[in-house]
Amino acid sequence: MPDRIYDVIVIGTGAGGGMAIHALCQAGAKVCALNASRRLKPSRDFRNHRQPFDMPFRGFGDPVKRKNWIGYMDNEYTEGIWEHEIIFTKAPGTEWTWRRCFAVGGKTNFWGRSSARFGDIDFRAASRDGYDVDWPVTYAEMAPYYSRVERMIGVASTVQKRPSNPDGEYLPPMNFRCIDRILESGARKVAIPYLPDRIAQLTVPHAGHPSCHYCANCTEGCDVGAFFSTPWFFLPAAERTGNLDLRTNALCRHILVDENGRAKGVAYVDRVTRREVEVYGRAVVLAASCVESARIVLNSKSRQWPDGIANSSGQAGRNLCDHLYGTTARGYFPQLLGQPSFPDNVSASTVAWMPRWQNLENPRQEEFIRGYSVYPDGGCAEFPWYFEEIEGFGREFKRAIKRRYPTPVSFYIQAPTQRSDANFVDIDPQVKDAYGIPAARLHFAWDRNTLLMWEHGKQACEQLLRASGAEYLGAAAEPDMPGTSLHETGTLRMGNDPKRFVTNRFGQAHDVGNLYVCDASVFPNCTDKTTTLSILAFTLRTAEHLIENLKQG
Amino acid sequence: MANQGADRRTVLEMLAKAAAASQFPGFRRWVFGQQPEREPRKGTYRPAFFSPSEYHTIDVLTGLIIPADGTPGAREAGVSEFIDFLAAHGETDIQEPMRRGLQWLDAVSRKRHGAPFASLSPEQQDGVLRTAAHRGQAPRDDPQGQAFFRLIRRYTVMGYYTSRIGLEELDYPGLRIYSASPACPHTGDPEHRHLPPPKV
Repeated sequence: MPDRIYDVIVIGTGAGGGMAIHALCQAGAKVCALNASRRLKPSRDFRNHRQPFDMPFRGFGDPVKRKNWIGYMDNEYTEGIWEHEIIFTKAPGTEWTWRRCFAVGGKTNFWGRSSARFGDIDFRAASRDGYDVDWPVTYAEMAPYYSRVERMIGVASTVQKRPSNPDGEYLPPMNFRCIDRILESGARKVAIPYLPDRIAQLTVPHAGHPSCHYCANCTEGCDVGAFFSTPWFFLPAAERTGNLDLRTNALCRHILVDENGRAKGVAYVDRVTRREVEVYGRAVVLAASCVESARIVLNSKSRQWPDGIANSSGQAGRNLCDHLYGTTARGYFPQLLGQPSFPDNVSASTVAWMPRWQNLENPRQEEFIRGYSVYPDGGCAEFPWYFEEIEGFGREFKRAIKRRYPTPVSFYIQAPTQRSDANFVDIDPQVKDAYGIPAARLHFAWDRNTLLMWEHGKQACEQLLRASGAEYLGAAAEPDMPGTSLHETGTLRMGNDPKRFVTNRFGQAHDVGNLYVCDASVFPNCTDKTTTLSILAFTLRTAEHLIENLKQG
Repeated sequence: MANQGADRRTVLEMLAKAAAASQFPGFRRWVFGQQPEREPRKGTYRPAFFSPSEYHTIDVLTGLIIPADGTPGAREAGVSEFIDFLAAHGETDIQEPMRRGLQWLDAVSRKRHGAPFASLSPEQQDGVLRTAAHRGQAPRDDPQGQAFFRLIRRYTVMGYYTSRIGLEELDYPGLRIYSASPACPHTGDPEHRHLPPPKV
């Protein structure tokens, strides 16, 4: 007999895990949370208030170590935080870049903070255009959860009455900068919406957290907690209840089952001692993030579940979606040449957005189905990356760099892929990670629909730049590599039919009633919106469903 | 709003701590470039990767690329120290390529003026560098000069605009404390067609 049986074991402490832990502990459940890496200490690990010259390599990083870094966020500011030891593999032909944060709080420590609600245009998209399936929820059902989440975390924006974007409960918006005013004027001419983004960044003190001080380095972590992350917003409150046992460096190997195939606990590797530990609970919440959760399910093989726990549908790992990211246009504003510097970038660029404007009235108006959103960026940044566009050297060169400083502008597209049989996660039959756990293997390529959005976005953004009086300098030759967005969805999709979906409308496994999933793996597809706010809203609903079930025994 | 003041103090303390952490051994002007209140360290910087003559030429080049012209330039900001520091820590892009480029530079200087680059007058140095900088003037069969120019220019920019001097040159507005998100001050001119004349 195990010495202790928790009410719930939660795997992961990011947006989904953190919210589940918070809700469950507040409700009185005894929770054991497993996190695959260490706790971060903001004063030591977050170097966001350092100037480049405060670091030996000026933020560019040690040349030898840099070779192993992944993507733009793995840098001298966040060194030692991103995961490199728990590897994944790629099928031949698949490109995938992935900077995963396994530290306590996961990616909420460094996320982009854009926080739009999903709406019926997303949930009922299949009914509108005939592709794939509707979500098993309606906006009317989800709206109260979105409101509660917005009140908890604080989201700054305005009521915009856009058909693609339900409005929520907002703190005062970020102010528009010079570049926003210029682009707003241009956008009006080409009928593209240009509006304040929905940003989980506090423009006023909120729920005991200080307002943003606009230092500009949010993506290096916030050391005062002025934007939502679970270590600042949820985990301290959960720990104060006395109901939380948070185990760090606890890497989940597989979910344990009883003789009936129900979840009875989790086997994990303690990454410090390298010993395997078992922990038992009445229910298990899987919140390790989309691909890692699929890996855990597929690695949880037993006599009862030869293809992975709760995978009688064979759909675990399937239906992987991602956001295509890429620079659709860049240029500069001649009207700002030589103007004094302005704090354009002090909220790390999440001031404005161009929410989906395609296929709104007629779902088949464009060559592609569904739609995409765009984020603008520009103004005075920390480093004059545009210098390569200026010829020469000497006084004129130095002066030209200074003149151009306030003027750069660029656009970044967020375009969803649609589900396809070609994009999925499985277990690599050969490769194991440093702890002997079989690695996840990714199979992925952009689909034609998404690439049509990319082409459409490039044209639209060029038009917008020209309408704004900017000099157009081109677009990226190709989109960023898949995986860049960190918005994977769909490996444990929710749906009503147990034969076709792993989880039901509450994120509860169809096959295993005491196994719940609280991350973006339950989303049937990835929409044009970011995932974090919806992970929080769906998790809050799932956690309350679980609490009811626990009460009923 | 009551706890705002305390939060700002916390932030200011952190900024001060970060500044105090910015001391690395060996540098002379680079450290001076960070902390204007301090005198430059006595003695000369001893390059860790490049030879003393290579290092001297790099230092001269950085000053030609970003000169002091009313505001301090790359030499004042210690950019050559940063380049040598990167090379010494394994920056393969600038180890041998930079060496070969310096050899090319001296060869062109000798051919044209009979002396290595560092011994030329500032006007002659400017002329030799211009050969590499402007594509039209560069000999067609010598792309090496252009590649070298782009390399030394890129690392000069990297070193200069990440120094305190360089960020002050741009008047970088980040890492300061703002009480509200900064708003466009040009009300009534959304397209920004009627701004005051440029300062630069």
